[in-house]
Amino acid sequence: MENGNSTLEQLQARFGADTFTPQTTKDEVLTLWMPHDKIKEVLTFLKKEISQPFLLLYDLTAIDERTRKPENGHIPYAFTIIYHLFSFDRNSFIRLKVGYRDEFPTVPSISSLWANANWYEREVYDMFGIRFEGHPHLYRILMPRTWVGHPLRKEHPARATEMGPFALYDDKVDLEQAALQFKPEEWGLQRQSDDSDFMFLNIGPQHPGTHGVLRIVLQLDGEDIVDAIPDIGFHHRGQEKMAERQSWHTYLPYTDRVDYLGGTMNNLAYLMAVEKLAGIQVPDRVKVIRVMLCELFRIASHLVWYGTFAQDVGQLSPVFYMFTDREKIFDIVEAVTGGRMHPNWFRIGGVAQDLPKGWETLVQNFINYFPKRLKEYDGMVMKNSLFKARTKGIGIFTLDEAIEWGVTGPNLRACGFEWDFRKKQPYSGYEMFDFDVPTAANGDCYDRAVVRVAEMRQSLRIIDQCLKNMPSGPYKSDHPLTTPPIKKHTMHDIETLITHFLGVSWGPVMPVGEAMSCIEATKGANGYYITSDGNTSPYRLRIRTPSFPHMQMLPYITKGYTVADLLSILGAMDYVLADIDR
Amino acid sequence: MKWWLSKPDDPVKATSGTSSYEETVQQSVLLTTVQDLVAWGRKNSMWPFHFGLSCCFVEMATSMTPKYDVARFGAEVIRGTPREADVMIIAGTVFIKMAPIIKRLHEQMMEPRWVISMGSCANSGGMFDIYSVVQGVDKFLPVDVYVPGCPPRPDAFMEGLMLLAESVGKERRPLSWTIGEQCVIRPEKIDVKERRQEARSKMTEFRSPDEV
Repeated sequence: MENGNSTLEQLQARFGADTFTPQTTKDEVLTLWMPHDKIKEVLTFLKKEISQPFLLLYDLTAIDERTRKPENGHIPYAFTIIYHLFSFDRNSFIRLKVGYRDEFPTVPSISSLWANANWYEREVYDMFGIRFEGHPHLYRILMPRTWVGHPLRKEHPARATEMGPFALYDDKVDLEQAALQFKPEEWGLQRQSDDSDFMFLNIGPQHPGTHGVLRIVLQLDGEDIVDAIPDIGFHHRGQEKMAERQSWHTYLPYTDRVDYLGGTMNNLAYLMAVEKLAGIQVPDRVKVIRVMLCELFRIASHLVWYGTFAQDVGQLSPVFYMFTDREKIFDIVEAVTGGRMHPNWFRIGGVAQDLPKGWETLVQNFINYFPKRLKEYDGMVMKNSLFKARTKGIGIFTLDEAIEWGVTGPNLRACGFEWDFRKKQPYSGYEMFDFDVPTAANGDCYDRAVVRVAEMRQSLRIIDQCLKNMPSGPYKSDHPLTTPPIKKHTMHDIETLITHFLGVSWGPVMPVGEAMSCIEATKGANGYYITSDGNTSPYRLRIRTPSFPHMQMLPYITKGYTVADLLSILGAMDYVLADIDR
Repeated sequence: MKWWLSKPDDPVKATSGTSSYEETVQQSVLLTTVQDLVAWGRKNSMWPFHFGLSCCFVEMATSMTPKYDVARFGAEVIRGTPREADVMIIAGTVFIKMAPIIKRLHEQMMEPRWVISMGSCANSGGMFDIYSVVQGVDKFLPVDVYVPGCPPRPDAFMEGLMLLAESVGKERRPLSWTIGEQCVIRPEKIDVKERRQEARSKMTEFRSPDEV
């Protein structure tokens, strides 16, 4: 952001002045179109040669541009590949775009440049049918192998009800099961070493230790993991395609279900992007209400992780205590929003309604109650010698490895890097709050737990500040695109009445443009990259979730450990399947 | 089958009555058919399969924790293998990629087995009318109870479980050859909406959402 111009100058100095075509976007991220033949060179330069390099491949996705409105000044490409890079030194993003005119383009793979590009490219292939030249395993990742078509292409049907009734005949079951058959040769895995035969152990998609429908195939030498191949996509709900037919307003409940433990945190990530697009500044009260709800959900999400992690490594009782505390949070959430896990309570330009009378007492009671419990859990879990034995020195990755693989959030901070988007790129008024960013040093499973436990205390500090300094004022911003529209603006004349009616029935029309958000969600950096064609629904909506790259790293960090350690590693990673597959 | 429990520390109350011969026999002898006894046993120990698909599973898991405590209804014994489970709870979205696996897991369960469809996605696809989602698990599995909600609260899930238990207790499964129909005789499905209609229509005063 700050160094946008200097980055462009450096790029132009290296590649020539007319190589890049800048584009203005609503989020003020430096956006450059680049030619096909320079993709690898430019990305290598940005990662390895430039001063203050862009070390993190934040996201890689594509857009099917074939149905764009021509009047919006859009270059008539058929497909665009979009690379989002992030530089920690510069604290800024860069967005690089490459346009293709072919129906089924082929793009050079950058999987040798960034370790985490592998899955992103597989996803683009699966969703768009775009091939990546030089990719080692370009197979479908989210859809079943037997799938015909590529769902995010505009010609692919969106609704299940458009695709004819579903029937599961016996031979179809056999066919699908055969497609799920694991073939080690496909992944370049040996069946035996010089002195032993490897065993291939299939864990999931239905297994209590995988926290959801995740499948991992392990290559085992005795009890030791030689390699692991995660198979995801069993939880793919087509959230990105869904956005293309929902209005800006009615997409909100879908965001709740992306990281389903994060509740309103997802609403916030989505709204940060939408409000940038609309140019809405929300009142202070809205900011603080949102922060309070999100931090409550951060604690709730961490509590689920805490309990299930302890259970994964053999402690059966903590989960019962922690779920009880989570219920206390849900009591507050329920009083405020009326919902529990999926409150669907934030709105474009505000929140659904004002805080109810008496919310202070509820929040205060929780603030009084919770620290004692956390202390008790320290004794019960964190200081437990068996817990330590199962988690210390397990699943270690260094800071460099973490960045190479796109790790964000508590998992990154456990490597000793104090990076929190709430501090570094404050959004929704986080700059007004006083809190620390906990870190740990070793980057093992235990340290990931240390960071999360400390984060719960910091979240509680933030909630306390929300309680003490809740600003007065409106709970919706006074902007024409606020949804639902503010009633007082209507009933003046036919024009205001119609505007209100359209805003309620069709929903708002967002101006043409694109914007991306990046927030510190419960599990890491969560962002929505939205392209608007000036319509009542997004032209394309991309959800960058933290769990996707985390899961991709699994094979790398499990090698050499035992099967029992795998469960510690999975538990410490804190992922949600809906956050991986969307 | 009539039965009751007497409390060990309260022997007087338990034997209140005329102390007649009939009454004494009633207190110590149980007369029933094997079929009824088995149905009673099944009804009071519904062991769920440890199976979850998405968000709903978190609420299902919450029902096992102290605030809700599904153990009160004999359903806290979560089985990790389908072969030991009585009831499969389809807690979450039924994905097309997952459907063959769900079907196989269901086939691996021993008879008698039941299915609860938990949440809107499993009931009908719910809000996810999208290419990768099966529009209701009943497209390929027989469902005994549907629990609405997105996700249903743990209380709602437990009510569904109770409904199933109620119907399991009334189910007639011949243990051997019988005269007449050989199949399982299931009670009529209960429509909770209808059952509650009257009570609900009397609810006219609601708490304001502006207060806690």
